[in-house]
Amino acid sequence: MIERPPHPRLSPPPRHAPLLAIKNLVTAFHTPAGRIPAVDGVSLSIERGRTLGIVGESGCGKSVTAMSVLRLVASPGRIEAGEILFSSGGTTLDLATLPEPAMRSVRGGRIGMIFQEPMTSLNPVFTVGDQIAEAVLLHRRVSREAARARALEMLQLVRLADPRQRLDEYPHQLSGGMRQRVMIAMALACDPELVIADEPTTALDVTIQAQILELLSELRARLGTAIVLITHDLGVVAETCDDVAVMYAGRVVEQAPAAELFARPRHPYTIGLLAARPSPGMKHSGPLCTIPGMVPLPQHFPAGCRFHPRCAYARLPGAESGSGRVVPLPAGELPCNAAVPPLHEVAPGHWVRCFHAESLGPPRSAQEIAAGGLFS
Amino acid sequence: MEGSMTPTQPMRSGGFWAEAWRRYRRRPLALAALVFVGWLAVVALFAPAIAGTKPVLCRYKGHLYAPCLAFFDRRLEPAVFARDRFRGTYPQNLKEKDPDSWAIWPLFFQDPYRAVRENEWPGRPANPARDEGHPSASHPFGTDQYGVDVLAKMVHGTTVALLVGFVSMGLAGTIGIVIGALGGYCGGWVDMVTSRFTEIVMCIPTLVLILALTAIIEKPSIWKTMAIIGATGWTGIARLTRGEFLRLRQSEFVMAARAAGAGPVRIMLRHILPNALAPILVPITFGIASAILTESALSFLGFGPPPPSASWGSLLNDARSNYSMWWLVVFPGLAIFLTVLSYNLIGEGLQEATDPRLREARK
Repeated sequence: MIERPPHPRLSPPPRHAPLLAIKNLVTAFHTPAGRIPAVDGVSLSIERGRTLGIVGESGCGKSVTAMSVLRLVASPGRIEAGEILFSSGGTTLDLATLPEPAMRSVRGGRIGMIFQEPMTSLNPVFTVGDQIAEAVLLHRRVSREAARARALEMLQLVRLADPRQRLDEYPHQLSGGMRQRVMIAMALACDPELVIADEPTTALDVTIQAQILELLSELRARLGTAIVLITHDLGVVAETCDDVAVMYAGRVVEQAPAAELFARPRHPYTIGLLAARPSPGMKHSGPLCTIPGMVPLPQHFPAGCRFHPRCAYARLPGAESGSGRVVPLPAGELPCNAAVPPLHEVAPGHWVRCFHAESLGPPRSAQEIAAGGLFS
Repeated sequence: MEGSMTPTQPMRSGGFWAEAWRRYRRRPLALAALVFVGWLAVVALFAPAIAGTKPVLCRYKGHLYAPCLAFFDRRLEPAVFARDRFRGTYPQNLKEKDPDSWAIWPLFFQDPYRAVRENEWPGRPANPARDEGHPSASHPFGTDQYGVDVLAKMVHGTTVALLVGFVSMGLAGTIGIVIGALGGYCGGWVDMVTSRFTEIVMCIPTLVLILALTAIIEKPSIWKTMAIIGATGWTGIARLTRGEFLRLRQSEFVMAARAAGAGPVRIMLRHILPNALAPILVPITFGIASAILTESALSFLGFGPPPPSASWGSLLNDARSNYSMWWLVVFPGLAIFLTVLSYNLIGEGLQEATDPRLREARK
């Protein structure tokens, strides 16, 4: 990792202390083929009671970031650098270095987790009630009866039909949507301050997806739980998130309030992602916009800005430009493949990791880009 | 609320084990095998009440006694009978020394350790010995060369046959599951050490080791034999457990349990083990069968439990020197065969009831 020089604009200013602040997190996998930095210098912050969406393609490190927060990265992966500051109950814990027993009380107790596959995330040999009650008993000194009562209460909270009867049913007797409701009930059973949802709706069909997202938004409003929503679906982000972080190749490339990001994307990757969405007003003929090239493999991350080989705006010395265009570099400006651009604030709360975010001209709306066919 | 059940609701069913039992019940042979083993267990438990020469319950000089328990442990024989010089023969002594006494006798008045003498039971002749002892109405399975009733011996040998299976495989199962679970869950160097250790033990030929150990051991007993069978027979279980733990460790519900704050011990015991148990039970059941065979083989070779423990294998050993007495081979041999077959059928039934792939194939 290239060390960034200290700079007053480098970390978001504390409006009020964030619930979770990830600073320069590096999580790498040590495989026989070499070190694979799946997460390489990620900085994020989540405010109390808000929803942060983390968007990115498969393999961009969004799930590994989430697993790093709970320190559940499977070996050979490990957190190599960075801080994960979690402010809970007046104290701030660094989850990156917290001893394992203390970490266990954070998992499930203060930070809940919802997984992608509701079909396999519940233990097939225990009843739904037992599993939720276990999550309660792990963190609260209560009787079995009280834990069971809490399980029932949680099933009612997630609006599962016939909660009393479902309590004694086994996971295989429930549908995918029902199981995901049970997972949400489990994650929320101990009143966590933060819930990490790793693609909670990917495995569900569209109508159920909408119900689950609605439930999550409603529960957040009711319980004041902050949510980190990991997804590759920009539609999900637009509907549910207050803030969005876009990740590419192990780094955050842009973070902004959702409305701001959708209206005025500043990073070429985000611009490309938004342009690639089909929109209702689109002409029916003609292909959808795509971003040229492939996501680089972690073993072969390009130097400098990792998006530059696919970037239409990349400024490179000579004819190396991926787009085939030779853009003359203004004096004193670094080429995109020479240094890692810093994550810097271009508008209040809007952070971009691109040298040329300011010089890209007036911010474009996604529709404008789609119409102009900038990425074709 | 029965009436409010709508037809769209899924059929009420229990958990995994209830489902497995439902599938197991559909296999008549496996079910019959289970009934047979259950029946053997009843026979073993009530052996002194089925065949014996000591009253199940008797009233002697105003007190109630259960002398039949002496068949389980000699120390359980009430001291009063030794003081009154019963010398192990109850029917006449009871009547002579206390005319008011009464007794409930075993179903079958025969002793597994000695021949019954003439008139020991009023009006009954002494047990025939040697070639005379072929099966008859009073001795359904015949008597051995000393006149000891074979049926009585077999009834009392049931305990040994079942204990050998359960104790040795209980031990083997415990060792195998612990070692396999540690290796599979922890991985890394722990897995390295446990796997190599398993492979080393796997190389030891059990029968030869037991023969060597029985030669060294001071006082051979059935318990020591069981311990040796158990201590060498866990390797297959350990390998299978390791595989299951390795597979389930990666599963999403284990990740979910960790995310809920469960520690490694809880995850291993509560989350992985119940899911791994079904496939592990199968080799344990087959192991019981092979443990019974091993014990029989040892007894046949003369390295079995020393007398007075009666085991089916030692009956076969008696037959070795008495070729003409076919009943000494047929009945114990059949008992061993049926028991081993039953365990194998149970194992197979368990496998089919719990293995999802086999289940799919049969549909």
